[in-house]
Amino acid sequence: MTTVPQVGVPAPPPTSVAPVDAPSDHRGSWLPTGAMIATRIMELRKRRGLMIALIVVNVGIPSIFLLIRLLAHAFAPKSYGPAGGYDIYTALSAGVMYVFGFIVAATLGCTAGSIDLTEGMFRHLVVTGRSRLALYLARIPAGLAIVVPLVAIGFTIVCAVCVFAAPTTLNYDGATLPSGLSQTGFETWAANHPDVVICDFPYNGNIAVNVPCNGPGGGPGGGPGGAIVKGPPGSVVPTQPTPAMLKAMAIKIAEQDYSDYSRTFLYPSTSLMIKTGLWIELEAAIGFIVGLGLGSLLGQRTVAVILMIVLEIILTPILSRASIPHLSNLQRSVVGLATAHLEPSGLPLAFGGGGGGGPNGPHALLLPESTTVAVCVIVAWLVGWTILGAWRMTTRDA
Amino acid sequence: MSTATLPGISDRHAAAGQWAVETHGLTKRFGENIAVNGVELLVPRGCAFGYLGPNGAGKTTLIRVLLGLTHADAGTMSLLGYPVPRHRAAALARVGAIVDEPRFHGHLTGRQNLQLLAAAREPTARDRIDPSLERVGILHRADDRVSKYSMGMRQRLGVAACLLGDPQLLILDEPMNGLDPAGMHEMRDMILSLVAEGRTVVLSSHLLDEVERTCDAVAIVDRGNIVRQGPISELLAGASLAVQVECSEPDRARALLEGTSIGAHIEVGPLGLGITLPAGTARDVVAETNRILVEGGIAVYRLQEIQASLEQWFLQVTSRLGAPE
Repeated sequence: MTTVPQVGVPAPPPTSVAPVDAPSDHRGSWLPTGAMIATRIMELRKRRGLMIALIVVNVGIPSIFLLIRLLAHAFAPKSYGPAGGYDIYTALSAGVMYVFGFIVAATLGCTAGSIDLTEGMFRHLVVTGRSRLALYLARIPAGLAIVVPLVAIGFTIVCAVCVFAAPTTLNYDGATLPSGLSQTGFETWAANHPDVVICDFPYNGNIAVNVPCNGPGGGPGGGPGGAIVKGPPGSVVPTQPTPAMLKAMAIKIAEQDYSDYSRTFLYPSTSLMIKTGLWIELEAAIGFIVGLGLGSLLGQRTVAVILMIVLEIILTPILSRASIPHLSNLQRSVVGLATAHLEPSGLPLAFGGGGGGGPNGPHALLLPESTTVAVCVIVAWLVGWTILGAWRMTTRDA
Repeated sequence: MSTATLPGISDRHAAAGQWAVETHGLTKRFGENIAVNGVELLVPRGCAFGYLGPNGAGKTTLIRVLLGLTHADAGTMSLLGYPVPRHRAAALARVGAIVDEPRFHGHLTGRQNLQLLAAAREPTARDRIDPSLERVGILHRADDRVSKYSMGMRQRLGVAACLLGDPQLLILDEPMNGLDPAGMHEMRDMILSLVAEGRTVVLSSHLLDEVERTCDAVAIVDRGNIVRQGPISELLAGASLAVQVECSEPDRARALLEGTSIGAHIEVGPLGLGITLPAGTARDVVAETNRILVEGGIAVYRLQEIQASLEQWFLQVTSRLGAPE
């Protein structure tokens, strides 16, 4: 017989009774289980529209761009250069892949952070008794398991085309020459092509001989009829130099230009590709984790995605390059500036806020920031947004 | 403690004096509005318990507080003997609940949605997915996307989600919504079968007829307060007694009865006299009424005691129509 109290009768204080057996599955632990991560991957992966959009942006656009270049070069090689090469690689990796990778990851993050709430699933999950923190943290590896391979696929396609469809000869300041020469080889090649070297290669010094160079690209100065004469200042009447003089001058120029030449490649080196790949993946991971936190904080996707795009496309380039008095430290706390400072040397300044190239390269356009500070800023963003997103999820009414 | 017995419910936990749900002074405010006002609720284990109230009475809010979906401002509570929120994880491990309209990821199938929920429970919950789907009758649609489900099918999926944790306590908020008559019948049978297995089912519903057919005990909530709770049979016994009398000369019969001390409210209608006796009136008064009429020379053709329904009682005790007492 069970008893039920009547209305108006004072109820007893909570009784200390033996509760039913609960499963010992560490449900209150903040650590997500493998099954939670796996099913969360499934949930995100099954969003067909979102996945198609992400693949199109991150893999499709660079692939189509490179495919068009491949076809154009195949059908009209004289009009269109090779599809790949170093320049194409740097433009695609520091520009398209960097920015699009971030946006793709941020979109997925904002979706993962808000969609349970907007689709009414959050309540079901909370009722399971599972720690809300674990529910939040399960989304991080799940999202990264989608973002990282997606970015890697797009980047691998770029690398493959840029390496395998690279030009066979190097264009160095308008001159076509073999790539990968040693200094001796470079000087030997210069000795065999003194006219090209003297006319086309940059040289910081006086050229002791007068050499007639044809065409507008022949160097400083100009001569009658389009001919350009390189020679010592003040020389009025060109004198015909001997072949030995030309060779000696060419070798001298090659000696000075070798360091510059050695940094010019037909295609990116393996180490540069690895560094660039890691850098782009870092940017994508930041985009996902920040987007996840922002999506969870706002509880909806659209505004969060717009804010992330504004951050990447508008705010970061402005705050990275403009010098705003009294706000430089605040500018240094922008995560885009921090990742730009970690950009591998050899990549150009890109519209997404990147800017490598060493102290003399386009890096110099960015607000100065040490590598240590850059790393600290990135870690602070990752930890900070994770805390914010998790806090909102654990305190939100379901 | 003064208690009323609840016949027909046998559960070893309840017999040991345990409650599936126990709240004391539970309060939840939204600004100036008090949605749950010092609620004292005791739900015995192993029964179907109806939780009734008009719209805006605070039914869903109380359920949300119990489940930890929102925090309480004051009071204590426990589920299945575990104080919550202190032992919330352990308590909810054996609780299944539908709160408001059951919503799921529309792009996933029913089975995939349950996989997502089972992953948040213990590992054995995954083995219960198909049996749960089969039990609620949507196994054949388990691989269809939820976006293609009707409201009734989503309700069933919600119940299947509740069953994943092999719950000892199910809290179902309006589970009949969207179900056709056959579906309601199946849902009722399923609730009764769950109770027969020793589980406790708390049923929040505005369908009083369904609650009356399904539940053993009820609590009535109004404006955040529980105004009545107990076994349905005993609560109805406390309702006012209605007697319909078909007789000759109804007006004279009314005058005769009003001149006595039975204290009835009497109306003359097309079917004769409608007599409403105060709650707690002994049934002897009905016989006394008959005697007065017969001795007064009134021909009594038919005298029928009208059984109070839960709906009538509900309307009596909720403040929307004014309590008779």
